[in-house]
Parts: sequence; structure tokens; C-alpha cells
Amino acid sequence: MEAVKYQNDPAIVIKEWVEAYSDKMYSWCLYKTNGREIAEDLVQDTFMAAFQSINKYEGKSDPKTWLFSILNNKIADHFRKLYRNPTVTESKIKQFSEASFFETYFDKNGSWLKEERPHAWPEEDVHLLDNKIFVKVLQSCMSKLPPDGYAAVQLKYLEEKKGEIICQELQISPTNFWQLLHRARLQLRRCLEINWFKK
Amino acid sequence: MHWIMLSCKKATELIEKKLLTKLSFREKVQLKMHKSLCDACTAYEKQSNLMEELLSKHIHNEDDGNKNNGVVENEELKKRIIEKIK
Repeated sequence: MEAVKYQNDPAIVIKEWVEAYSDKMYSWCLYKTNGREIAEDLVQDTFMAAFQSINKYEGKSDPKTWLFSILNNKIADHFRKLYRNPTVTESKIKQFSEASFFETYFDKNGSWLKEERPHAWPEEDVHLLDNKIFVKVLQSCMSKLPPDGYAAVQLKYLEEKKGEIICQELQISPTNFWQLLHRARLQLRRCLEINWFKK
Repeated sequence: MHWIMLSCKKATELIEKKLLTKLSFREKVQLKMHKSLCDACTAYEKQSNLMEELLSKHIHNEDDGNKNNGVVENEELKKRIIEKIK
């Protein structure tokens, strides 16, 4: 029954879906990309893509699931683009890519600087994600990453792809990719420590 | 420096590498040796594993994202999309 309806008038179906899901999709995108305009464009692109390929939707899965899978691909594309052309105007990129980045963590022999040495965190538990304040801190720490580091982290988890595939898509060597993640995660670790674990 | 003794910088690099790909036998031995002598890198690895788990859950779960941030309404966007689809 449903399938017949989709074949008959895609425009009406899409309209219903826009009413039902676009706010949720927009919120999700906003939260991922930290940008109103980008989020709006990605949601709009998703509905346009859904409209064009609605014959591929067979009504077997929840439309929301189908729409979110398209949306997540669009978000991943966005991060791939961002990775390739990070806005070089921001000074934080410079800090991140320069050799001096590591000097704020390690001495010249590669040993931890005294004030940077990791000590066990008081609560080491995934249930932290149930805590809204922690999630806010995590998000704000993520948003402080430079664009290429942020894109690398997002891509690694967003698509659950193997590292090698992400590297092929980004056209970088696996070594570059994990070194980028290494820097991103050092920075993220410090930010979480200062803003959560040591508070 | 003896080949088996890593610096902390290198050790943390291997800890991150391990999350993406398999370490070679030599790298595994180096990392193990280093951790047996270094509390800081041992703590780092634990935290790194926790971050891995937090990030994979956090980044992937849209319901979670919306639950924690609330749904933002955007009527303008709805109108614009519907207009385009006509």
C-alpha cells in the first residue's frame, strides 16, 4: 500500500517528510557542523536527493532512517571538502600544523612536559554521555579543533569506515591521517581535562 | 637511545596508531616496554581508549545529539525546500 503511494506522488510524500523530519535533520546537522547555513544547505540537498531517487525507497525502512542515511553521506562529503580546503585564514590551523604544536606537550627529548603529564581521570566511564553538561564540554572541545583535525575526527566515526578507505577518499597517506588524529586527540584530551576532569 | 626505548611523544603516537591500524611486532614490543616504565603514557592510553568510545558513540547517535541539544525548528527552511520540490 505504502509503496503505491510513493510511486504516485513523490512531491506530496516529500512534503510530508519535510514537515515530519526536517527539524530533526536540521538540528542534527547544526550540531555536527556548527554552522546554520551549511546545515540548511545539507538538509535541503538531502531532500532534493531523496526527491530524485524516491523510486529507490521501497517503504521497507522507516523514512527517517532512509533520510538520515542520505544526510549522513552529505555530512561526510562536507567534511571531506573541508578537509581538502580548510579555511587558511584561521590562526588555529597554523598552531596545529606547525612543529611547535608538540612543544606545548613534550620537551625536546619527547618526554611529557611536567604540567602536561597525564594522570588518571576520576571517572572513566562511557555513561558520561548521559550527562548533558559533559556532552556540551565535549562538543565545545571538538569545535576548538582546527578544521582538518575536526574533519578527520568526524569522518573516522561518522561512517565507521576503515582508516584505509578514509585515506583513499581524502587522498592522504595513512601515516598523515593518524598523525593528524594524534594531534587532534592530544588537543581534545587536554581540553577535556581542563574543562571537565580537573574541574 | 636504544631502539627499544621510545619517547613519550612516539609512544602516544603508537597508542593513536593502534586505534586505526595494527601495530607491527616491533611497535607492540616498544609500546609495551614503554608503558611498563611510564605511568603517564599508561594513563594516556586509558584515556585515549575512553575518548575513542565516547567519540564513536557521540558522533554516531543522532537521537542522542538531538536529545542533548534540543530540536531547533526552522520553518523558513521547510518552506524553502517545499517550494523547490514543486
